[in-house]
Amino acid sequence: MTNMLNTRTTERAPQRSLCRQSRFSVSSVLKFSLRAVALATILAISAAQPARTQETPRGKALGKRVLCMCGGCEDSAGLCNHPGGTFSGPCETARGMQKDLDAHVTRGESDDQILQAMVEQYGPTVLVEPPKKGFDLLAWIMPIAVPLIALVLVWEVVRRWRHKATLAPAGGPQVNADFLARAQRESGREPGREHDE
Amino acid sequence: MDILGSFALLLAFLAAVYAVLAGIAGIITRRTLLTKSARNAGVAVFVLVTIAVGCLEYFFFTNDFSIVYVVEHSNRALPGFYKFAALWAGQEGSLLFWSWLLSIYAFLVLVLNRKRHPELMPYVGVVLAGVQTFFLTLNNFVATPFRVLAGPDGAGVMHLAKMSEGHGLTPLLQYPEMVIHPPMLYLGYTGFTVPFAFALAALLGRYPGEKWIHITRRWTMIAWCFQSIGILLGAHWAYAMLGWGGYWAWDPVENASLLPWITGTAFLHSVMMQEKRGMMKVWNVWLVFTTFMLCILGTMLTRSGVVSSVHAFAQSSIGSWFVGFLILTFVVCFAAYWKNRDYLRSDNQLDSLVSRESSFLFNNLILLAACFAVLWGTLFPVLSEWVQGSKISVGAPFFNKVNVPIALFLLLLTGVGPLLAWRKTSFDALKRNFAWPFSGGLLAGIIGFIWGFRDIYSLLCLILGVFVTLTIASEFFRGARVISSRDGTNFFTAMGELTMRNTRRYGGYVIHFGMVLVFIGIAGTPFNKDLQKEMAVGESLRIGPYTVLCQNFDHLDNANFESDRATLEVFKNGKSDMMLFPERRLFHASQVTETMVAIQSSPLRDLYVVYAGRSPETGKPVIHAYLLPLIKWIWFGGIVVVLGTGLALLPNRRTAVVLRPATDRSWADAIAESTPAIGAVARRVEGHD
Repeated sequence: MTNMLNTRTTERAPQRSLCRQSRFSVSSVLKFSLRAVALATILAISAAQPARTQETPRGKALGKRVLCMCGGCEDSAGLCNHPGGTFSGPCETARGMQKDLDAHVTRGESDDQILQAMVEQYGPTVLVEPPKKGFDLLAWIMPIAVPLIALVLVWEVVRRWRHKATLAPAGGPQVNADFLARAQRESGREPGREHDE
Repeated sequence: MDILGSFALLLAFLAAVYAVLAGIAGIITRRTLLTKSARNAGVAVFVLVTIAVGCLEYFFFTNDFSIVYVVEHSNRALPGFYKFAALWAGQEGSLLFWSWLLSIYAFLVLVLNRKRHPELMPYVGVVLAGVQTFFLTLNNFVATPFRVLAGPDGAGVMHLAKMSEGHGLTPLLQYPEMVIHPPMLYLGYTGFTVPFAFALAALLGRYPGEKWIHITRRWTMIAWCFQSIGILLGAHWAYAMLGWGGYWAWDPVENASLLPWITGTAFLHSVMMQEKRGMMKVWNVWLVFTTFMLCILGTMLTRSGVVSSVHAFAQSSIGSWFVGFLILTFVVCFAAYWKNRDYLRSDNQLDSLVSRESSFLFNNLILLAACFAVLWGTLFPVLSEWVQGSKISVGAPFFNKVNVPIALFLLLLTGVGPLLAWRKTSFDALKRNFAWPFSGGLLAGIIGFIWGFRDIYSLLCLILGVFVTLTIASEFFRGARVISSRDGTNFFTAMGELTMRNTRRYGGYVIHFGMVLVFIGIAGTPFNKDLQKEMAVGESLRIGPYTVLCQNFDHLDNANFESDRATLEVFKNGKSDMMLFPERRLFHASQVTETMVAIQSSPLRDLYVVYAGRSPETGKPVIHAYLLPLIKWIWFGGIVVVLGTGLALLPNRRTAVVLRPATDRSWADAIAESTPAIGAVARRVEGHD
């Protein structure tokens, strides 16, 4: 639940369904072989340009750590969706960035190196989260530090309250007879109707 | 009509200024006539702003395209329903809408309390009129909604112009919930002005006791309820409209609406400390001040575009006005506090760390921590740009990492807090109260783990959710059992009786239960799945237990939009289950495309299908299917929260008497010493609330 509210795991189905063929006709066999050749060519080209159509799991994870830099959305490259656009899916920029990431991954670079390369290319806004160094480290420290400081303050306040309470005269309760009678009369009530206006 | 509208707005401004000045003069000179006159001016503001709003709506409904605002946000073919909603589609109209809702609240407050609280109301009137003056300044001089179209002719002389057609309403807003979501949120934002006005008034006038809290409790709850509805409707709108399978993206504007909700929640809890024990007075006053300032900050973030956001349809450089107003508000609040700080001295001390009091302290601490984390993340890009000269992004993963643990801790307190007695709880009582709920939670956790809840946060959320539910159930159960055995009524009648006798407490429990449902709904998120596929007619995709078969693609056309629609048959476990019709609409006036998601919703999971359009690479239609577990629980939980708030707002069936001794010791302890048998009952009675 780290990315609790907007995590989307993607199981992409094969993008192209293989063609259905009618059997036993010369033309269909011919068509099929032609398509097979075409497919083989496409695959060969894809192999020559690594990770063109297939996302690596690391590339996909990295895609969620960088923003789509098209300027028209606030999504990460991996989850770019473009409401209001002509296509509700990754835009050209996001697809390009995802391809870059996959290319970096296949070159065997580390996550940090890849993210650094993205920062060099697009500037610091490309990172979805603030980096945990320099001034930006404050973004991470403050949400932990401030409640802790507040806790210390609350503790101090409570300690003072209790200190005052112990200083209060200890002579037993000063309950007057009227109050006691009233309390006894009324304490027979069941829970749920006491207090409140 | 535009002259009438402008004039009404200008008069409203003058009336508001008069209400402030006459009000102050009335307070200083103690002249009742002046005070009454100021109050009447406050009522007049309401009438005048209503006239202005009526005029603007009249322009929308008569398609008067000589008014710039109407041209920009409407067109002839726009359905009447949305013409009404076009009022708040842009900057000028939204601010007018803010003014109007505030004037309604002010009108109600002034009229309902005209014969009550004569010492306090003049101050309240001044504060309300002061806030109103700020917004009317914007309406009149910064963002006037009645600007007319005009252009120079050949000789350079300006002439009025008129367009034949408008640009249309943003398609994002053309969805039924969008007609309700903004007014709800605005009713929340403006509603928090009322407790603010009472708090500041009580402080300025040194109004004795906790009366201001009693007066404003209902107002605060109403504002809080509207804010909750607004936030949840917004989330549901994002879910049903934006087509990315999520409902909360930690967008700055979403965050802005969450901030006052969090501090408002903290306030609704900590007021009990002041009511029951006379503690935390300074804290409460500052919580109300903060809530109001966060409302103004929220409006500013929405309106000014200081932080970039998808709600970009309402941006401008109006921010400096809001910053000025925020600073002024802070200065006034601080001055009032400093001058009258002795008036806020605490009556009581804390007796034990294991008590209701300390649980409220922790509740407030955690809520404020969440509030700070959200605010810090939202404004950090601005801060970073200011310090380092370069903007950075603070995206959803940051907010999730920081806020999820805080939220879970809060859920724990929701279960623990109500079971602790005021002042002091013994270890035995703790064991007795917690044994069952805690075992139940653990058992649920084990079952959940076996069933597949393998995410640590989700599992914790489940355990705590069941724990809280069981503590709430045990509260109802124990109370109802006492009543039913005493009155001989059946158990459910007794439960109703119990609830109606202390609506605030049991309504509160219902709200807690609603929040548990919301949390369970959120806990389903790590198990989301999605699948995107190019699909021709006759092709299908499988996701979870569903098979989606593509039956047809067709094209529809009407005056407002044309749409591409997919007809999909859904099979569940091999059996035909239902048809889904995801659409893509192209709106003629704005030339913007919008997705219309098709959702098959069930308590266990939603099947959420988006027609993503034609693939930019292959030109084939693409269907994007999502399987989203437990989402429905969020919306259902929201309804429970609203019902609980309604319950808490009802008056108690019989007025209960509060017994409060003048001593430091608990009255229950006192009775216990003299009469042990009654004392046991008294302790329980005291602990219950």
